[in-house]
Amino acid sequence: MSEPASLHGTEILEIDPAVDRDRIRVLPGATETAASFQFDGEDHTLGNALRYVILKKCVYTLLPSPQVEFCGYSIPHPSEARMNIRIQTYDGVNVYDVLEKGLDDLVDMCDVVVEKFITARDEFKASQ
Amino acid sequence: MSQPSQEERRRRKLLTIGDERVANTASNDLPSLFPGEDMDFNLHEFKKNFNVQFHTSSAHDSTFSLTGLDTSLANAFRRICISEIPTVAIEDVYIMQNNGVMQDEVLAQRLGLIPLKGSPSGLRWLRWYIKPSPDDPDAFVTPPSDHNVVVMKLNVKCEWREGGLQLAAKGETDPDKLYKNHAVYAKHLKYVPTGKQEEMFKDGPIEAVHPDILITKMRPGQELDLMVHAMKGIGADHAKFSPVATASYRLLPTIDITSPILSAEAKKFARCFPKGVIALAPVTTEQSRKDPALKDHEGELHAVVSDPMRDTVSRECLRHDEFKNKVKLGRVRDHFIFSVESTGQWESDELFLESVRLLKVKAQRVRRGLGELMK
Amino acid sequence: MSAYQPPASTGGAGSSSQANPLAMPTGVIDERARFVEYTCGDCDSAVSLKRGEPIRCRNCGHRVLYKQRTNRMVQFEAR
Repeated sequence: MSEPASLHGTEILEIDPAVDRDRIRVLPGATETAASFQFDGEDHTLGNALRYVILKKCVYTLLPSPQVEFCGYSIPHPSEARMNIRIQTYDGVNVYDVLEKGLDDLVDMCDVVVEKFITARDEFKASQ
Repeated sequence: MSQPSQEERRRRKLLTIGDERVANTASNDLPSLFPGEDMDFNLHEFKKNFNVQFHTSSAHDSTFSLTGLDTSLANAFRRICISEIPTVAIEDVYIMQNNGVMQDEVLAQRLGLIPLKGSPSGLRWLRWYIKPSPDDPDAFVTPPSDHNVVVMKLNVKCEWREGGLQLAAKGETDPDKLYKNHAVYAKHLKYVPTGKQEEMFKDGPIEAVHPDILITKMRPGQELDLMVHAMKGIGADHAKFSPVATASYRLLPTIDITSPILSAEAKKFARCFPKGVIALAPVTTEQSRKDPALKDHEGELHAVVSDPMRDTVSRECLRHDEFKNKVKLGRVRDHFIFSVESTGQWESDELFLESVRLLKVKAQRVRRGLGELMK
Repeated sequence: MSAYQPPASTGGAGSSSQANPLAMPTGVIDERARFVEYTCGDCDSAVSLKRGEPIRCRNCGHRVLYKQRTNRMVQFEAR
């Protein structure tokens, strides 16, 4: 049985940032505004959600305009648990910042979903 | 900053369904698509738009609507429900005796698929068991112990009933009258608590969710004596670990009647949909005054949409020429009607919550690794 | 090429008695041997035999007996 990579860190071992770090690689050819990242043990679940939140980034100058020129993900081979994500940003926007912000947004969204779901469920159960 | 009109917003939200094609399917709330509009991700905005509405909720079956979120997120929750929420299932089978007709490996496979249940707090307390791998003897393993392996035993022997032989000689064929224990059920699996499990599963011992799952059949003289090790795993590894029978979503259907459908036609129109989707209502005075198409039709029955959620979007109405130009079918892009059906180890609403928590854990881990990488 | 030689069996009812000093001549029951349980192929009753005993069901006289499965543990993965 292969141990579930996604839960490994929280369930068996102490949280070890070094383990999490080793699951990420910056692929060759990265610059400040264009980079590809490779994540081990991730798939469409995180890939697509992350792609979406990253594409939502806006910058406010005169008008709100997108920060991200391109963001896409791929699973290079179906039998390898790897996910690549490519981000290209407009001038003056750092790809690493965008990725970090995207992950933070995802975490925040999850909190909102949990909170609203619990409220709705409790109300529904009380009304039954 | 430009703001799209209410009508434009609605148009963007709808997938249009024609008789042979589905259009406008891709997400379009991205800033690169509509320059000048503010589409930045904003938690406050998300909080305002996101909504949950429950439809039904029982222990093992829930349906609810999530509105105001993107497909990528809804799909992530669905995928995690199916393949990443851990459950306990039978993994190793140690067979001491099996002289029935079912082969050992077939029997083992059947045992693995039996859904188990037990005290939720106990199941949460259980840790992962990491098997030694044959190709890498130095790999990290956790020895089987009370905190990662659940032991169960199955010991059943089939015998003749009192006077069964005589009955058989007389021509009786009903196995219930002839033999004892001729059918082995999931309820015959007996939990053997070890170590701390005694305490952890005090109020909910491990047992099969459905006691009457037939495992195998036997005849007098045949015997089954085996021990199983059940352990935590995830659906990505094997379907027996998947906590859901199905976790799925569909988009809310919409039906727009663009010009009135009256009397006999209305009845035919209603029959194109499942019961309850289309209702027949008399045209009111006000309607006939306001709508030129309804003039002089006061009191006549016309078709009105009453419950689009029940529609299966069979598109039957588009097959009839008389309705083709009178109705527009669609689906709402950000209204997901979830249905989560648990196999019994988890409560169905807890399953969804767990899937959201797991997505958060995933994002946090990558975030942590990235922070470390940037140092 | 020589003809196939059956391996000398210790439990067989003496076909190669010269080759194998342990082999029993037919019909001699080894009193020290353990009982082995068999199942009759006809009446399904249990038959326990010792080494050298005639292979025959005590109940019905049937000459086909089946050996029972051992109680040795076998491990399987439930997948």
